[in-house]
Amino acid sequence: MSTALLSTQGLVARYGDFQALYGVDFEVHAGEIVALIGANGAGKSTLLKSLMGLLRVAPDMVRLDGRPVGGSQPHRMVASGVAIVPEGRRLFAGMSVADNLRVAMDCAAPARGGGWSLDRVYALFPILQEKQAVPVQLLSGGQQQMVAIGRALLNQPRLLLCDEVSLGLAPKVVREIYQSIPLISQNGTAVVLVEQDVGLAQSASNRLYCMLEGRVTLTGRSGELSREAIGEAYFGASHAVA
Amino acid sequence: MPWLDALVQGILLGGLYAQYALGMALMFGVMRIVNITHGDLMILLALIGISLASSFMLGPWSVLVILVALGATIGLLLQRFILNRVVGEDALPSLIATFGLSIALQNAMLQIWSADTRSLGSGDIVQQSIQIGPLFVGVLPVIVLLTATVLTAGLATAIRYTRFGRALRAASADVEAAEMTGVNPKSIYAGAAALAVGILGFAAVFQSMRATVSPADGPFQLIYAFEAVIIGGMGSIWGALFGAMVLGISQSIGFRINPGFGILAGHLVFLIVLALRPQGLLGKD
Repeated sequence: MSTALLSTQGLVARYGDFQALYGVDFEVHAGEIVALIGANGAGKSTLLKSLMGLLRVAPDMVRLDGRPVGGSQPHRMVASGVAIVPEGRRLFAGMSVADNLRVAMDCAAPARGGGWSLDRVYALFPILQEKQAVPVQLLSGGQQQMVAIGRALLNQPRLLLCDEVSLGLAPKVVREIYQSIPLISQNGTAVVLVEQDVGLAQSASNRLYCMLEGRVTLTGRSGELSREAIGEAYFGASHAVA
Repeated sequence: MPWLDALVQGILLGGLYAQYALGMALMFGVMRIVNITHGDLMILLALIGISLASSFMLGPWSVLVILVALGATIGLLLQRFILNRVVGEDALPSLIATFGLSIALQNAMLQIWSADTRSLGSGDIVQQSIQIGPLFVGVLPVIVLLTATVLTAGLATAIRYTRFGRALRAASADVEAAEMTGVNPKSIYAGAAALAVGILGFAAVFQSMRATVSPADGPFQLIYAFEAVIIGGMGSIWGALFGAMVLGISQSIGFRINPGFGILAGHLVFLIVLALRPQGLLGKD
């Protein structure tokens, strides 16, 4: 069996005294699309933050290509090929669309064959080419989300982490953004989708993890999981009893 | 005509203030670090320059090259070992750390150089002037103003168009997002501090050629730099030059009204701008 691109073993993370993750085992292989679902506060964003080096975790809890990288600084994770579309987009206000994208190009991981270029990002989201000189804070929410995805792609990731990219967007825009995901993974880029919309997550991914209260409660191939099993894992046993 | 002369002299004085203000605009305006040692570092560089010039018989332009390089090194070390530990959302830790450092620096300089005022021997250039119509304009102040303008243009261009400038703007917009995009903010900040203190090397040479320096002068230069940045608008590099001009002109006209009123006139104009347009004259929001 091949080594996972990225994996966690018994990942424990805390915010001060509050423990948010209790021994999470998670893995992504090259080219895979993995969805991560769960209710608010289940630990999905915390897991992404731990992978990205934004939370302190022990080195051997997170492995990239089998090497321990837990707790590396975020810019080092980017340099080794992990990029993130952060929750709430977090664009650089006051800077143009093109400058937001260029910051990522300046700090990209070494590009592999067929890496991402400005032109390829503009081909994926044509509206961004039209708006390239516009300060990002003047764009619509959907356009800002496209900039955030483009920015992460220009980091030349082998693994792209997407934190709630559909949040607060109109259904039509969400569809448009989700149509880009298969195009991104065609290159061999692995994608992790954190998503609140279970149906959307299930249809867009190859594999799925469901989290509840800081633990993984269900994992399997997205197409093979029943709604009942997901419902139970999503809300917990107490829900099943009630 | 004396008012026109005051205006011209004010603009030229503004050229000198701009050289203090540029580094301040970068650190305070862009990085939001309050560096109380800004003026003291300028005085430190000036005193080192004066000592070098007299020990090794160096001309002012050789001293300039050495001080800019030395300033950049000091800025890099200051950021790397002190300011990177206190940088963050809250400006207070950087204020407290550099406030302490400022007192230590002033006393160390007093110990080494004594309280005497000193200046840099600079030959004829200080006396030379050119006549434009009825006005006499010093050659040195014109050089100072040109240097300030070139430095402003260079810095503004670097921030607008270079890789370093983009990373700096990204880090000041959202430091965590910049890290997630691959920027190492600590090395970017160290580069910016090197630029900011390096520019003080120019200010140090021109200040000690035009006038005198002594170890306790730093806080005055610090106030002028803060005022210029706030008058011009936080985060705006051209605003720092413009704010320095406004401050220089206010002081120069104040001096014409009454020799005791000059410095106060500058402070009053600063307070008026702060009250009526707190975002600064060239500030955006």
